[in-house]
Amino acid sequence: MKIRRILNAVTGIAESAIGVLSAVLAVLLFFDILEVQTVFNVPPELLPLYLLFLGLFSVFSVLSGLFLIREWRG
Amino acid sequence: MANEKKHGLISAIIMGLGGAIGFEIFALLNYAYFDLAGPSMISALAFCGIINLITMLSYSELSAAIPEVGGEYTYTKVAFGGIISFMAGCLRWLASVFGGALAAVVFVDQLRVLFSVFAPSSIQDLILANASVLILGLVVILIILAIRGVEEASTLIVAAFLTIFIIFLAMSVGYTLTPQNIVPEASASSVMYFFATAAYLFPMFVGMRALVAGAPQIKNPGKNVPRALMITTIVLTVVYFAVAYVAVGAVPIGGEITGDELPLLNLAASTIMGPVGAILFALAGIIASVSSVGTAMTVQSSILGGMSRDGYLPAAIQRVHKRFGTRYIAVIASSLFVIFFGISGAVAFLGYAASFGSLLVFALVNLSLIQLRRKMPRLDRPFKAPFYPLTPLAGIVMSVLLLAFPVILRDVNAESALLSSLGMVAVVLVTYYLRMVKREIDFNRLRVAVGGICFGAGVTLIVLAPVIVPSSLFLIMIIVGLVSIIAGIMNILASARKID
Repeated sequence: MKIRRILNAVTGIAESAIGVLSAVLAVLLFFDILEVQTVFNVPPELLPLYLLFLGLFSVFSVLSGLFLIREWRG
Repeated sequence: MANEKKHGLISAIIMGLGGAIGFEIFALLNYAYFDLAGPSMISALAFCGIINLITMLSYSELSAAIPEVGGEYTYTKVAFGGIISFMAGCLRWLASVFGGALAAVVFVDQLRVLFSVFAPSSIQDLILANASVLILGLVVILIILAIRGVEEASTLIVAAFLTIFIIFLAMSVGYTLTPQNIVPEASASSVMYFFATAAYLFPMFVGMRALVAGAPQIKNPGKNVPRALMITTIVLTVVYFAVAYVAVGAVPIGGEITGDELPLLNLAASTIMGPVGAILFALAGIIASVSSVGTAMTVQSSILGGMSRDGYLPAAIQRVHKRFGTRYIAVIASSLFVIFFGISGAVAFLGYAASFGSLLVFALVNLSLIQLRRKMPRLDRPFKAPFYPLTPLAGIVMSVLLLAFPVILRDVNAESALLSSLGMVAVVLVTYYLRMVKREIDFNRLRVAVGGICFGAGVTLIVLAPVIVPSSLFLIMIIVGLVSIIAGIMNILASARKID
């Protein structure tokens, strides 16, 4: 049980962090802060698609991570 | 217990003007004039005033009947409760975040304008190159001040603003203004641009809700709040109309002026009043934006604190600083969003985003009025909105129209703002569901679904990684994919057992 709790905590925090970072990347791409569109070689016509995927991935990752954290915290 | 000192009608009017007169006039006129409606922006401003007046009638009735702290959140809670009030609170918070971010952008812009009057261009370039750092610095200083509970001198700011505007208008009498056609042309495109402009300029008025939020501190609120709201709306509309009219007359559209060099109001001030006007307006812009960022952060922490108190958000948000007695976690959490959107520098996007949040809240307030008249017909109402139900219905229709027109016009800033707002609303709905759901079985089904999506996304990432990402990002992609797969499996296994 102890191993399971540790796994819940580590995976939950990592998954939530991935979700938050995906959201940050989506906003960086949208506003082209630090010229990330060029860095990641994102064509302007495909930008909405990238944003959509990143947004969805972000929301589900955060949710999934929070579920695990919730279980870990009892 | 000592009696708390209550404010009279004049103080209430100052409270409303203090909330409304601010940085927006420096930020929003530019895009509205040069990119949207041209001179007919002035009529759009007057139209905004009328819509604001209609909704303020609903606000007046609600604030007189329910003179409690919380404003829109409280009205929707009494009328509907549950998800509608949660949504109203979140939208109000969202509009405040976007407004705060816009104010931070204006601060940097006005700083640049101030230095453009007497400093070499190298200093202006330095300011522009370090805009993100300046915004970050401003917000961090204001976080410290907000946590320490420093009050703003809103009366002084209102008095200073009105004086500057009056001097500007008085000096324009001796200046030959270029006549402009302020009435939109009778074509479908002109009318669409007119409504889109009205939607964009709407945040210039919404700040007067501060008066409603402060209703409990006003003497005889049933009488004074509605009066103050009406007077404030009329004063604001007249002042904005006159200032915009003079600015447009002093800076005719076309030719070499595109609005990129200086904001419209600063340009008009330097044209009519010379360098003194340029400095005066830049200083006013700086003071207004700093004050607005500070106010936005206080409002945000108050909304988040209220929602946390009612159990919609984690209790940690209510945690109060031991020494200064302010909700420091709420202040810091809200400020991160302000910094995030502020460093984007996207004025048009932020303007629309702030407007859309406020318009949705206005629609919910009008709906609350209708619901309360049906649900609590015997509620003591010291003020009643006239022409009911036409008044709240008109408020709802106008809010929806203003939301729709910029998007129909395919204005990319409006589309992005609406998508962002709807995205946040979706997150709000999911959050509400997760916090409030009582049936454990539904929660576990949701968890299985989310786990399945994450598992699928993880597998897809690992399969596609060699094809879609450069070799430098390959390892990161594989790790992200693996974490998603493990999280997905753990969520599915834990929930499937409970459903069985």
